Amino acid sequence: MSGATYTAAASVAEALGALSSGARPIAGGTDLVVGARGGKAPLPEALVAIHNLEELRGMSAEGGGVQMGALVTHAEIVASEAVRSTFTALADASAIVGSHATRHVGTIGGNVMNASPAMETGGPLICFDAMATLRSSSGERELAVAELFAAPGRTTATADELLVAVSLPAPAAGTGSCYVRLEYRRQMEIAIVGATAVVTLDGGTVSDARIAITALAPTIHRVAEAEAALIGGDSGEAAVRSAADAAAAASRPISDVRGSADYRRAMAAVITRRAIVAALSRARGEHVPIPASPALHGATNGGAA
Amino acid sequence: MRYEATLNVNGVGYPVEIEPSRSLLSVLRSEVGLTGSKEGCDDSECGACMVLLDGRPVNSCSYLALQADGREVTTIEGLAAADGELHPLQRAFLDEGGVQCGFCTPGMLISAKALLDENPRPSEEEIRLALSGNLCRCTGYSGIVRAVQTAAAELA
Amino acid sequence: MATAEKPFIRQDGKDKVTGLGRYTADLAMTGMLHAKFRFADHAHARIRSIDTTRARALTGVFAVITHEDVPDVRYGPFVQDRRLFAKSKVRYEGELVAAVAALTPEIAQRACELIEVDYEPLEVVNDIEAALLPGAPLLHEQWAEYGASDDVVRDGNDCSRSTIVKGDADKGMAEADIVVKERYVADMSHAVPIEPHSIVAQWQGDRVTIWSSTQVPFIARSGVATTLAISESNVRVIVPHLGGGFGGKCEFHYEAQVAALARTARRPVRLVFSRREEFVAPDHRREGQVLELETGVRNDGSIVSRRARVILDNGAYSADAPFFPQLAAMMAVGPYKVENVFVDASLAYTNHTPSGSVRAPTAPQSCWAVEQHMDSVAARLGIDPVEFRRRNVVKPGDESPTRQIFEEIGAAETLEKAVEMIGYDRDLPDDEAIGVAIGWWPSFGIASGAYIKINGDGSGTIITGAQECGTGAVMALPLLAAEILGMRPEDFQLLYQDTDAGPFDSGASGSQTTFNNGRAVMAAARDVREQLLDLAAEELEANRDDLELVDGVARVKGSPSKSVTIPDLAEKAHGDRLLLGRGADAVPAMPDCDASGCTGRLGMESFLAPTFITHAVHCKVDRETGVVRILNVAAVHESGRVLNPIGANGQVEGGVVMGIGMALLEGSLIGDDGRQVNPHLLDYKLQTASDSPPIMIGWVDAPTKDGAGGPKGSKGIGEPPCVPTPGAIANAIAKVTGARVHQLPMTPARVWEAMQS
Repeated sequence: MSGATYTAAASVAEALGALSSGARPIAGGTDLVVGARGGKAPLPEALVAIHNLEELRGMSAEGGGVQMGALVTHAEIVASEAVRSTFTALADASAIVGSHATRHVGTIGGNVMNASPAMETGGPLICFDAMATLRSSSGERELAVAELFAAPGRTTATADELLVAVSLPAPAAGTGSCYVRLEYRRQMEIAIVGATAVVTLDGGTVSDARIAITALAPTIHRVAEAEAALIGGDSGEAAVRSAADAAAAASRPISDVRGSADYRRAMAAVITRRAIVAALSRARGEHVPIPASPALHGATNGGAA
Repeated sequence: MRYEATLNVNGVGYPVEIEPSRSLLSVLRSEVGLTGSKEGCDDSECGACMVLLDGRPVNSCSYLALQADGREVTTIEGLAAADGELHPLQRAFLDEGGVQCGFCTPGMLISAKALLDENPRPSEEEIRLALSGNLCRCTGYSGIVRAVQTAAAELA
Repeated sequence: MATAEKPFIRQDGKDKVTGLGRYTADLAMTGMLHAKFRFADHAHARIRSIDTTRARALTGVFAVITHEDVPDVRYGPFVQDRRLFAKSKVRYEGELVAAVAALTPEIAQRACELIEVDYEPLEVVNDIEAALLPGAPLLHEQWAEYGASDDVVRDGNDCSRSTIVKGDADKGMAEADIVVKERYVADMSHAVPIEPHSIVAQWQGDRVTIWSSTQVPFIARSGVATTLAISESNVRVIVPHLGGGFGGKCEFHYEAQVAALARTARRPVRLVFSRREEFVAPDHRREGQVLELETGVRNDGSIVSRRARVILDNGAYSADAPFFPQLAAMMAVGPYKVENVFVDASLAYTNHTPSGSVRAPTAPQSCWAVEQHMDSVAARLGIDPVEFRRRNVVKPGDESPTRQIFEEIGAAETLEKAVEMIGYDRDLPDDEAIGVAIGWWPSFGIASGAYIKINGDGSGTIITGAQECGTGAVMALPLLAAEILGMRPEDFQLLYQDTDAGPFDSGASGSQTTFNNGRAVMAAARDVREQLLDLAAEELEANRDDLELVDGVARVKGSPSKSVTIPDLAEKAHGDRLLLGRGADAVPAMPDCDASGCTGRLGMESFLAPTFITHAVHCKVDRETGVVRILNVAAVHESGRVLNPIGANGQVEGGVVMGIGMALLEGSLIGDDGRQVNPHLLDYKLQTASDSPPIMIGWVDAPTKDGAGGPKGSKGIGEPPCVPTPGAIANAIAKVTGARVHQLPMTPARVWEAMQS
């Protein structure tokens, strides 16, 4: 572990000053410190802690959309009625990040800027057209979260930019969404395969669809062919299946300790199909529990049995 | 370089001077001198290091000590009453067979405390989910879950 | 046993729930240094040279030691094939090349990195079957020169071979109506105690005190004495609270290296392992296996013949694994009546972390294979798997694979009770099923001793060599003493886990603490009881034979008013008499058997006080993903007489969940380079609280004859609970999917792959 110098920023301006002189931001530390301890990457030489910045906290729901400060935690996202009702897939995702403790400490900003191809919230944010607000000493810009993910662990933000907020615009009426992850255990997991579906129904017709795949390529991304297979259709089984197959075809999985490429590709179709089916159910106003993942894997145990 | 900070642990202020890379766990265990919080893994996977930071559960092995400056930390040593009277959770862990080797016990009790503070009447399912960040190799969790249920009933 | 049936609070409990109890890594001393090891940089390589110059020159470094700094001693319990530090070759990734003691762990780590080791990499032996083929690279070229027990049958990379021969297996197979042959592979796995290894060593003159997270302090003591060539009396091993073991902390691990560092540095030194180090270095992980099983049956469901070939992964060096082939051979037959048997089991050297006893070594994997095989045979016969087991499971009077005649056993009763508890015959959704498996396991009779002293105030102190690894076995010893002495369990304190205090004990291994040390404590209690009765007879002027010890008093039977309290007796004795009981009960004799024709006999040819277990597991299988969830478990055990139900239930609950982990996710994956790919808890996945099911527990009471088992006819209880769980789960999966998973763990990907073929 490195980490030679440290400042706890008292204001965003102070944090930005530190960034422009080479420091790296740290909030909950769930990725940065864990990565350093595990030998993945040493801590940056200079750290600026941003956990005290009130400006980066809090969520607000206006005009059907949601604005989140970068320090909003997964636990806060899951508890937010606005997220649960309107951006349900994001609630699905935040509800299954790590453990109870991780969800209390880990922030949306950290999750996004870590840019892991297996991060849970990435697919939902991309599909909801989430915008990231990046600020530096020289100004502020907004870009789509989709534009932020450059490569595994790398974003398109410059070193002096701080993610200060993430905002999600109001989706069209009749939209339902779901994030599903293939998980070996019920908690403490990392996505082996993940899929997000955001669908809008107009009567019996799918008027819009967003499908993204997680842990199936170097970055999380949408699959246009899968979306096309749904849009304009009747949301029937055949359309759902062809969308799911398109997602699998678009995947470029690796073989590693968590699963073979063949297995992941096959699971891409299964998990995508389940995400679409659940999103359609929600779009129709049917109840699918949050998070969707454990429920869709079959009955749980313990209290349920 | 080293930085000054004050950790408020179990209601007592500890002035410390530490490097930025130091984890909250290592400072609790050495400078502060409270070894109840344990280190069982390298990557926030086992939960033996769990403490409350401003009332929320945190894997202290993966949290920078300097970020806890001026904040309230509760460790397992702070769970019993000042007069030594065990917290109902501690008593229930003993009564229900929730303790065997004891190495996961401090972190498990802290996670259970965090849960009951937030949700005084959890279902068995909620208990199991809330404790999933704490690995136990001895008990199969049955005794631990029973203990949390017993303590919840007593506290409610 | 009335005192044992009421809940009691373990004496170490308050220490553990308050966080005030100290584990080894919690100990610190003024001037203490920190140890780090330089591990092998290859799984297999010749060492050309080791240069420690730069490491020694680093500020803050007080000691750098290699093989040159310790006596040139080879050690090992069965085969002496290893040294404290690698000398000319490294044979697995976690082997030690050097050790450093420095002011901080960071400096010690940096110094380890500065040690320059010149290697010539060698071909890695990764596959246990290939390791035994002619022409395979030898792990130990000088294997024939190594010291070893005479009973170990060795040949090159086959470090221990054992066979079971009963009747004529070939002839039996020829006579069978149906023959089923299958092959199963189990990956290696790990014990994973939540506390990683930790050791503190401090010298005073020629004497070293070592605080260690060991399950076996006396064995650690003799290991230090042997390898550092000093007297056992100059080594004191103390175990503070031990944070679990499950076998992973058996044997002798690093106590000598840390002691050697402390001697060189002339400072106390502490070693604390990281989780990664805990995975790759200590030589006690659960061995991988290949099992080829062939069974011949008659149409009536009786088993005519079993042939089996079992290959076990020893890893690079021999810990206690050389007795595993014989154990695995017994397991390959299972607790069934089989008329003809031939099993051939080998232990292959590979470039992996060495194997060693982990909770019921060989048994869960072998049982997983054998019990799947039993279901396969039943399917071929068209008989329900439970009915097939019912016809073949051993009953009193039946014989073992080596013609041991079973006496008081309740194997069949465990089967009946388990299927009843789980509701075996009920209708289930088509993605759910109930699988059943039966396992067995021996008790281990080992010499053990204890003292009990009665203090001046009438309280008692039990001084024992026994080791508490969390199970509560040592904590329950006062129950046994209290009953004999008419005292309360809480009247006793325990002095334990200190080799300078208690008599020799083989530690928290082999489920042996209650079984052996329990008998020793009872013998010590009877001894001091005689002393108390002598005193009471004088005091009460009564006939000694008329006296009894009840409720804290010695009294005349039939006239309870004529009594004297134990505290009064103790006060009386104080100063001129010693109230000190000594106990060491005779080790039960091994049951007779006929092992003629069997090779590699290392004491497992008959099973002392065998325990029998049936698990019935209700699973749900997601047939699209291969993800398996465990909905319910019925675990029924015949463990002789159960002494402490709360403690026993705790062992079953923990063992079943460990068995579920082994069944579904726990496997140590090894890369082509011989290194473990997943030495961390994110990818070596233990079951969490939310994965763990409710567990229904049943006990079949079948106490052993007097002298044939543990206290009151009990049997070992710590290891067996994980034995049949994976097999039961496997059978449930196969029922749902119609496909057998032939590799353990049965990960979602493997379940899915089995369904594709």
